[in-house]
Amino acid sequence: MTFDLTLSSSDLLLLAPEIFLTIWLCVVLAVDFTFKHIDHENLAYLSVGGIIATLVNLIWFDYTGVQGALFKDMFVLDGVAIFFKIFVLIATALVLLASIDYVKSFKFFRGEYYFLVMMSALGMMFMASAQDLLSVFVTLEFSTFGFYVLVAYLREDQKSSEAGLKFFILGVFAAGLLAYGISLVYGETGTLVFSEMASTPGSYGLAIGFIMIFAALGFKIGAVPFHSWIPDTYQGAPTPITAFLSIAPKGAALAIFIRMFYVALASFKPTWVLLFVVASILSMTYGNIVAIAQKNIKRLLAYSGIAQIGNVMIGLAAGTKRGSDAILFYLLTYLFANLGAFAVVIGVSNLIKSDEIEDYNGLNRRSPFLAAAMFLFLLSLAGVPPLAGFIGKLYIFVAAIEQELYTLLIVGLINIVISMYYYLVVVKKMYINEPHDPTPLSVSAPLKAVIFVGIAGTLLLGIYPKPFIDWAVAATLMFSNIAAPTAAAPAVLTSLAGG
Amino acid sequence: MGQLALQATLFGPFLGAIVLLFVPNREPLLVRAVAAVSAGTALLASLYVFMAYDPDQGGFQFITKWAWSEELGIGFHIGVDGIGAPLVFASAILLFAGIFISWHIKDRTKEFYIFLLILAAATIGVFMSLDLFFLYFFYEMSVLPMYVLLGIWGSHTKGYLSMTDEEGRRLRDSVGFILNFGSNSKEYAAMKLTLFLSAGAVFALMGILLIYHFSPVQTFDILVLREVADFDGTLAIIIWLLVFFGFASIAPIWPLHSWSPVGHAAAPAATSMLHAGVLMKLGHFSIIRVAYEILPETTRELMPIAAVLCVFSILYGGFVAYFAKDTKYVIGYSSSSHMGYVFLGMAALDYISLTGAVIYMFAHALATGMLFAMAGWVYDQTHTRDIPSLGGLVKNMPFLAGAFIIACMASVGMPGTVNFIAEIMIIVGSWEKYPFQVVVAVLGIVLTMAYLFKMMRGLFYGNMSPEYAHARDTSQWVDRLPLLVMIGCSIFFGIFPMHFYNVVRSTVVPMLDRIHQVAPMVAQNTTGLLP
Repeated sequence: MTFDLTLSSSDLLLLAPEIFLTIWLCVVLAVDFTFKHIDHENLAYLSVGGIIATLVNLIWFDYTGVQGALFKDMFVLDGVAIFFKIFVLIATALVLLASIDYVKSFKFFRGEYYFLVMMSALGMMFMASAQDLLSVFVTLEFSTFGFYVLVAYLREDQKSSEAGLKFFILGVFAAGLLAYGISLVYGETGTLVFSEMASTPGSYGLAIGFIMIFAALGFKIGAVPFHSWIPDTYQGAPTPITAFLSIAPKGAALAIFIRMFYVALASFKPTWVLLFVVASILSMTYGNIVAIAQKNIKRLLAYSGIAQIGNVMIGLAAGTKRGSDAILFYLLTYLFANLGAFAVVIGVSNLIKSDEIEDYNGLNRRSPFLAAAMFLFLLSLAGVPPLAGFIGKLYIFVAAIEQELYTLLIVGLINIVISMYYYLVVVKKMYINEPHDPTPLSVSAPLKAVIFVGIAGTLLLGIYPKPFIDWAVAATLMFSNIAAPTAAAPAVLTSLAGG
Repeated sequence: MGQLALQATLFGPFLGAIVLLFVPNREPLLVRAVAAVSAGTALLASLYVFMAYDPDQGGFQFITKWAWSEELGIGFHIGVDGIGAPLVFASAILLFAGIFISWHIKDRTKEFYIFLLILAAATIGVFMSLDLFFLYFFYEMSVLPMYVLLGIWGSHTKGYLSMTDEEGRRLRDSVGFILNFGSNSKEYAAMKLTLFLSAGAVFALMGILLIYHFSPVQTFDILVLREVADFDGTLAIIIWLLVFFGFASIAPIWPLHSWSPVGHAAAPAATSMLHAGVLMKLGHFSIIRVAYEILPETTRELMPIAAVLCVFSILYGGFVAYFAKDTKYVIGYSSSSHMGYVFLGMAALDYISLTGAVIYMFAHALATGMLFAMAGWVYDQTHTRDIPSLGGLVKNMPFLAGAFIIACMASVGMPGTVNFIAEIMIIVGSWEKYPFQVVVAVLGIVLTMAYLFKMMRGLFYGNMSPEYAHARDTSQWVDRLPLLVMIGCSIFFGIFPMHFYNVVRSTVVPMLDRIHQVAPMVAQNTTGLLP
């Protein structure tokens, strides 16, 4: 394979957001090194400013329809890529704002924090554009490096170090699986580009290779049975990083999932549908049932996140254009609700230094704002109208019923009821129980801004989702002619999927 | 104008809730005023809708349709027919009354009114939704505020039996404890209610999604679906069962009723009123709107299920109500029992009986609303709902005792109240098809009389325990207004039912024509009971 690296300036335009962000994060690092006594709050605002500029750039791309591919299709800028880049950047900006107060509690503040967050975001932006197994590997690892450091950032905290180590070991293992899977697939097909694989005949090598890649990506999104790192890592990591980890990498990895399975493996759809049906049922059921027993709010959100990913995979199991639309929309609802919930957790832990659900007792009396916000976010995660999560779930279910995946649908619906229980237990603690310590809590301005963005997103997507649905539909136009499931689906699949 | 009134009925309470967010908590009077104004707007607007509904024209009126998502085939489509209009009116009456009944709530007043307004607005939304998506949207939205309302402002219940009664305590500690564990806490009641209703809702959602998928046009619009959808065979039966049992769990039909009395008993007075008054009717209404409209043929085949189950509802609810010692349990079980009448009226698929069932929903909303409001007042004054320990309150509360007698009479179905008209129509209409059930229903009326008068005697007559000597009557206008409004409506429509009857009948006749047309069945009693 030879690479033609002569680029024209118009080609470089496609890379403009990434190039700009690269320069900007170097600037942030340089400013931190140069001005020893700079207030880290200003550093955060500087970073957020850069991200907003990048966002404006991407929105302009989306508006004017700038699209194209670079480096022999290794890097592609299309509707899906732009959607997921915007998704990742919104999450990053909100996480940076939510970090401002949290990092004050670090004994030794190091400016690399913002740099590392932005670097991970940059990696995930590249992930959203990866259309080739090689770039999948490189971008995936690129985005994870930042996280390895960030998860273990609380050096003096044993839990954080444990979380970092666990995340690192399992992450490296997943990377190994990914590399091995890629080599098998390359051996079978002789190509790394997704679109060229589509016509390859099936073989055992290819199947094993793709199952390995599936496992590695499943690790990224935390689907059962690749979820075991999630609870401990989420609990130990600094809370803003947990929030970041629970949203952005999942989105970016789902971009790869959609591309890989919709483009490269379109002809094997009946087989991989089965894979997603099983993973989805396991994730939803396991995540929701184990969440019931949690005493720590971060662990509860970790398990609820596993269950949410199970919901997202219903869309992948549908394997249609409608399915991908639903995933994109669902992720938006998840972004606002989950990030909002974590912002409340950050707010509470800044003030009372605890993440135990027991300490949320009487939050409504101590801070009506935090309690009301958490109430909305949890109910949105549970899928209660008129909040965003309900529309997201309904969209996913509509996609599933169009493919007549009844088993999946029934499991998904029952899981809504199960999840409602543990979300309501938190609501009960906040609203019904009396506080141990009734001192009022006050929230800082940047965190308040994050929570307001979360509330606005949760309500807007629930009450007037039309523009966002239209956006998701437009972004996935390239999948409009995805292969319909062939009639000769294996018998086991037909019985399991209920079709 | 009618459209505007309908929108005002729906958005008035929502708007009130939003405005309340910005009212400071330390101004309780302003909070109450905002809530009362928004509820009053809804009441007047819904009265206009009810009165302006044209029975000669029939069908759905005051329709508003806004595009919402073409991609999913959802439109914001509201309007009322002769069944929706009275129920919207009943919801608005109960909301208005509930605002005043809760006038003395001190703890987190603002939050209480916000949740109460959302609950009522969502209920009103169901009654006017012409889109399956929004029907479910408002339905599920009405369930969640209940959790918070029960959990925060509710009260712990004493269980089914009296704690002061030796025999009751012994029973409770042996069998009752096992069968009814945990039922004493309001948190348990709230969680049970929410999970039960959500579980029912997801079954109904499954049915709705199947309708969406298998109809020739991918849409949630009920008006389109009833024209184009044509389900038959196993699929129709599955959808019908999902829809029926999904929605009947809130109605509540007999084996699915157990959340309801516990929930009633734990809830604060205004919530019990809305809950028993209109929330339970969401079940019947949604069955009529979804099953009767979209699956008429299957409804005709399978509705006998309801006729069988309603016997258990009526008798079981009635007997438990007779033996219960807690005022709210008595009223709660009487509601479960009375909902069986509505199912009987619906199941007979007769022109008279279905009209009666709809009127009964309205009548029951008022009667049970009054009873819960007054039980709430007695509880606020005495801090107990245990009937054996109360008594003789008529000396302190002459006005309340008088109102209570009227409410009991209404609940029993005394001529002069709208309940009488409804009951007699259900009984006459169902007689041809279900004589056995009618006998049970008449027995149920006798039972109702027995337990309501027993409760009335226990509360207001006999000897008064000295610790309740300080209990006082409703003396302020804010306390009497809601009772007078409800009594007034009940008696007014009992004496002048013609408009009401025509409105309901204008919708019931074409609906049953559709149901029977498929395989013509001799419709009985088509010549009206009333001229």
